[in-house]
Amino acid sequence: MTSNPKGPASMTTTGMIDFRGVNKWFGPLNVLKDITLSVQPREVVVVCGPSGSGKSTLIRCINGLETIKDGDLIVDGQRLGDPATNMTRLRTEIGFVFQSFNLYPHKTALENVTLAPIHVRKIPRAEAEQAGRELLAKVGLADKVGAYPAQLSGGQQQRVAIARCLGMRPKIMLFDEPTSALDPEMISEVLDVMVAVAEEGMTMMVVTHEMGFARKVAQRVVFMDAGAIVESGTPDEFFSHPRTDRSRAFLSKILRH
Amino acid sequence: MIWQQFVSLAGSYPLALRGLGMTVMLSVISLVLGTLIGFALGIVRTGGNRLMAGVIGAWVDLIRGTPFLVQIFLIFFILPEFGIELDAFTAGIIALTNLAACFICEIVAAGIRSVPTGQVEAALASGLSRLQRMRQVVLPQAMRIVLPPLVGQYVLLIKDSSVVSAIGLTDLTRVGWLVVQRVPNGLLVFFLVGVGYFIVCYPLILLARRLESRLGAAHGEVQL
Repeated sequence: MTSNPKGPASMTTTGMIDFRGVNKWFGPLNVLKDITLSVQPREVVVVCGPSGSGKSTLIRCINGLETIKDGDLIVDGQRLGDPATNMTRLRTEIGFVFQSFNLYPHKTALENVTLAPIHVRKIPRAEAEQAGRELLAKVGLADKVGAYPAQLSGGQQQRVAIARCLGMRPKIMLFDEPTSALDPEMISEVLDVMVAVAEEGMTMMVVTHEMGFARKVAQRVVFMDAGAIVESGTPDEFFSHPRTDRSRAFLSKILRH
Repeated sequence: MIWQQFVSLAGSYPLALRGLGMTVMLSVISLVLGTLIGFALGIVRTGGNRLMAGVIGAWVDLIRGTPFLVQIFLIFFILPEFGIELDAFTAGIIALTNLAACFICEIVAAGIRSVPTGQVEAALASGLSRLQRMRQVVLPQAMRIVLPPLVGQYVLLIKDSSVVSAIGLTDLTRVGWLVVQRVPNGLLVFFLVGVGYFIVCYPLILLARRLESRLGAAHGEVQL
């Protein structure tokens, strides 16, 4: 099987995202330690852990915002770092929601959503705008189509950002602490949208400490510490019966209040 | 006496128009070329190629660190020693374009660097190509930073074009020198030369102001 010249990418992989012995360093710091993790299509995986544990780096590797040092990372059947993999094209299949939204400030909500469909997917403008309006309506922002990001609240901006990803009809969506920069009263409006996306069968990896969200939609919770995956299990297993001292210590801190 | 000077001055108006025309032509050609080249250099300077960025940086420093008059002399008097003969107009255009490109390169590079990394990451994550990222996301945001100093630089460069009179081009400044030989009233003549430059520069200053407010509005900001 390994003699196949096309390498691991053509091996029998059922995972939408496959980490196999992935390592990454920032200088001397081993930020990802021998990560092996497989995410199935339509699966929702929540990644949690203390800050600096490498969870953001982990999901940023999936769309190539960070590059890995060794090991294999196979996304949608394509091996990252392989010369045959067109990273720009692969990225069109992966939505990424940032902690700080990163909406384009010079473009309206609708233009933020339609930019990539028009220029990357080459969808006719009228059609893209129609789809964009529907998506904004879906995230509850039908009346904010013409608003600029500066005119929107944090929660509204993050919902536009999610609509922007959905506009590309991705196979995978990655969320990097999507609610961490939000005021408490805005968190639920964003989580509601994420729940709706999950329930439509999107493959998702979500870095978050929102345990309510994890219990509601995640099939699996992955707990990271110091660059390694320490524990992985169903939300019930993880929250009710954490197996390691580190995960117990972490949970006691985030669940205390 | 003063009356005679006015009559004599009025008689020089075809020469003055020629000088104004030369100044405008030099400025327009070198600013258009300088802007195109300056943007290209600024984009490469902030791009991934370290060698190219370093070469451009060194050239820009060299040009910014030497007097424009010296640069013009080098191009017009020294290049012929190496077999490159240029007429004064071409030499003036080359010198001004080069100067404009170097200053504009730095302005554009500073504008591009001011765009937050998150913007580029968002564009990358959406699958935008390098060119699309630049055109759709980075440059429009950089322009807000770039535009005011860019137009300010245009005004400076138009005024710098007066230096080309040193290699014999009959621009507005040289017309002043010619006229003052016939009309011995330096104050009056060069006051009028100054007015000539001001007439060219002032619309640009007004344009800059309008562009700034339009760009501000396009970002959904409150207008004062």
